[in-house]
Amino acid sequence: MKQAVILAAGEGQRLRPFTATRPKVMLSIADKPILQYVVEALAQNGIRNLVIVIGYRREEVFDYMGSGERFGVDITYITQEKQLGTAHALAQAKGVTEDEFLVLPGDNLIEADAIAQFVAVKPEAVLVKRVDNPARYGVVTIAKGMVKGIVEKPKEAGSNVVSTGTYAFSKQIFDFIEPELDIPDVLNNMIAQGKHLRARETDGTWLDVVYPWDILSLNGAVLRQIQANLGGIMETGVSVKGLVSVGKDTVIRSNSYIVGPVVIGDNCDIGPNVCILPATSVGDNVVISPFTEIKNSVIGSDVNIGPGCIIQDSVIDKGCVIKGHFTACSGQADVKVDDEHHMVNLGAMLGEGCSLGNSVTAQPGVIVGNHSQVQALKLISGRLPDRSLVV
Amino acid sequence: MCGIIGYIGDKPAQPILLNCLRRLEYRGYDSCGIAVAAGSIGVYKDAVRVAELAKVAPRLNGTAGIGHTRWATHGEPSQVNAHPHLDCSGKIAVVHNGVINNFQRLKRELTAEGHSFVSETDTEVISHLIEKYYDGNLEKAVEAALSDIDGSYAIIVLVAGESKLVAARKDSPLIIGVSDRENFIASDVPAILDYTNRVIYLEEGDIGVVTKDNVKIRRYGAEVVGEEHKILWSVEDAQKGGYEHFMLKEIHEQPKVIRDTLGEYISAAETEVKLAMMTEANLEGMLIVACGTSYHAALVGKYIVEELVGIPVRSELACEFTYRHQIPAGTAAIVVTQSGETADTLKAMKRLKEGGCQVVAITNVVGSTASRIADQTVYTRAGPEISVAATKSFTAQLMVLYWLALSYSRVDIRQVDNLTMGLRQLPEKVQQVLDNEDKIRQYASYLSRYENVFFISRGINYPVALEGALKLKEISYIHAEGYAAGELKHGPFALLGANTPVIAIVAQDNTYETMLTNIKEVKARGSPLMALAEEGDEAIGELADSVITVPRVDAIFSPVVNTVALQLLAYYTAQQRGCPIDFPRNLAKSVTVE
Repeated sequence: MKQAVILAAGEGQRLRPFTATRPKVMLSIADKPILQYVVEALAQNGIRNLVIVIGYRREEVFDYMGSGERFGVDITYITQEKQLGTAHALAQAKGVTEDEFLVLPGDNLIEADAIAQFVAVKPEAVLVKRVDNPARYGVVTIAKGMVKGIVEKPKEAGSNVVSTGTYAFSKQIFDFIEPELDIPDVLNNMIAQGKHLRARETDGTWLDVVYPWDILSLNGAVLRQIQANLGGIMETGVSVKGLVSVGKDTVIRSNSYIVGPVVIGDNCDIGPNVCILPATSVGDNVVISPFTEIKNSVIGSDVNIGPGCIIQDSVIDKGCVIKGHFTACSGQADVKVDDEHHMVNLGAMLGEGCSLGNSVTAQPGVIVGNHSQVQALKLISGRLPDRSLVV
Repeated sequence: MCGIIGYIGDKPAQPILLNCLRRLEYRGYDSCGIAVAAGSIGVYKDAVRVAELAKVAPRLNGTAGIGHTRWATHGEPSQVNAHPHLDCSGKIAVVHNGVINNFQRLKRELTAEGHSFVSETDTEVISHLIEKYYDGNLEKAVEAALSDIDGSYAIIVLVAGESKLVAARKDSPLIIGVSDRENFIASDVPAILDYTNRVIYLEEGDIGVVTKDNVKIRRYGAEVVGEEHKILWSVEDAQKGGYEHFMLKEIHEQPKVIRDTLGEYISAAETEVKLAMMTEANLEGMLIVACGTSYHAALVGKYIVEELVGIPVRSELACEFTYRHQIPAGTAAIVVTQSGETADTLKAMKRLKEGGCQVVAITNVVGSTASRIADQTVYTRAGPEISVAATKSFTAQLMVLYWLALSYSRVDIRQVDNLTMGLRQLPEKVQQVLDNEDKIRQYASYLSRYENVFFISRGINYPVALEGALKLKEISYIHAEGYAAGELKHGPFALLGANTPVIAIVAQDNTYETMLTNIKEVKARGSPLMALAEEGDEAIGELADSVITVPRVDAIFSPVVNTVALQLLAYYTAQQRGCPIDFPRNLAKSVTVE
């Protein structure tokens, strides 16, 4: 197998507000978009001819991935104008595929070890994995190594083996694709017509993001494997423990205390006396003012955090400006997404470009829409739509 | 970033190498060169672009050769530093993309062993190392040379009398293009797509031996069979990273360019003053000289410096500066030029120097003529700009001017803090303008039907009106005029009417009320009016026929977000009209004649 098609056109509506200006594949986990993990996993397995199917907010993918050279791959972009399903997305790539190719979802974080064996498999085949919560995925029934059927999000999962959405196909797959179908439906039709679909199991890293708080669990999982690397300038009295990566031109000022795993991007200005605790990712060009504590959180690029803040189990998207004494303490919260209720331990979820006045307090589980403005001394809770004004 | 190419086959190598180098020019173009072997090795190289090299290069005979195009980030582009580099005997030529960390030590050792070096480059040690180990087995010699080297490289080696090229890579890209009775080696696939679409990707540490009929690859000492890939995409796609034109790609690079410039000059540096020749004490006035889009940056610079530093600033067109009778001796002089080669700007620089001025150059090209003439150079970190219409270089120039003004600012500490924070927010604000692209595209399809357009504004956004008009006219061929809103009634009013749209740039500063009055005047003459205004400005919505909003920023930064919006407007208008956006008729990227 020499070629892979990566499906990267979807929005990921359940992840709003974080997907308002980026496709789901560009969500940042440990300071890298999910798509980059997929591309790197393929490159490490010697697959460098990549077709990326883009659609929603495709410029974000262009701007970051470019020609692929930075990642040692060659990228051909194919646009899916309307997001009509994964099979339709794949069909867009028909004209540029080789006789055999891999297909991967660009929005599932996969690592090189997970596909190391799979790259040599004979089509048609699907990569499966055992998981704890199979009802979220396509559950696969297998007999003698062959797939009998795939059931998407079953009410009762008969097995804990699910499809990772990673496939090895030959060109014959295109004969079975009908518009507005997802790939599992196409495969079920194919099996019904007597074609064989192999199942190959992996125990490598494969992680999916469905809800906003999944960003935190993925971030935590990936951070455990980062390379420690201290770039930038460390002033005297900075304590760094565990796996910590700091980007170039970043300044960490005196008496700051950083406990890894933590990744901090380029051009940040942090401290003095800032405390960054495990499982935190900080983007590029971020300012964190004195006496702030951040724990198990994801902070986007160009964020400015004032003095004396407490930020736990939170996602602060790019470009937010937060004045002093913001409190986002973690607690159990009942969060509603698409009419489903979820009990989760969470701090705050802030969309991009929000601006918070002094001494704002966030109730656990608050989800603030993009470009919202909150005046000083306010208590925010529940779900605020984009461009909310809290006065 | 550099680009390298190798050819071996039956055809004359020179034209093929030059054509491939043109394809590689997007990776950098401050100098280039080729070497062709036929018994002996002929080399021709210089600090010029590929098209110029092609014009003046003598005919080098031979059917095997290598080439290189360079974008210096450190060290000066010059003929002697351009690749290919030869060994002492002149029989071994090397092109290299990458950085050799231990070259100083290697150079000392080789010099002690009697090798003589002519350039300041790290690359030259490779040719001499290969010379040292070469005893008839080129492959072994290259392998031995590379084992001495610590660093990153993609190299191609050409040796007189050998009917093969040897290539190797580590941390820099390299591919082999396979064809019939000829083969290629290149930094990327687009370079060779005119000749073949069969490609072998070299892996880290691979050494490839390429003859005209054969490709052999050694990996960890063992021979492996290179897997051939068939490339189905066209040349243009990859270089433009998915975009249809370089201009749109470069517009989209601006958030990154701002972050890079911030990183270079502002964040870690604590706004410390870096211009030795300008001190707080002697800074009584400033002269900024430039042409074209850079001149518009200079005009914005005038407002920035006057507001923050509190000294009078003159911004002058370089081409007219020649005719000024007075040169203000003792004034700090700054020239702004993307290429560093603009003839008028260079002439003005020389005149300033002769007049006793110290000159600072703001330029995007390391080692350009401007940087050599200047007493001090501040580089914009915009990267190579391919599109003739300047976009990201303008934004980078503004960032440098903001940094300069903040370094010398005489305003309140609270204002400095606010502005520093505002600067850090700019990448995200510009990204928001880009995210609003669809809205701008809609207005562009309306604008594309007209043949005459006015851009008006006041204050710090007056130069933005000039720049908006320049972008529109140069790529869409619509006649566009940038005007100070107050000057419109001194003549141009006669041109207003239903067929002449007016685009008003409205900032939330002391120009706001007067701009509203001006807009009413324009409306009364029947011109369709589009306002570029800050989000949340409701009064504008009622006055204008259409509104494009930009995110809220401090008024002093409004030229950045407004210009990006107008760049997109010009781009989509030109696209609607089917214009050749990256290479408009009659225009060249850098104007090297007066």
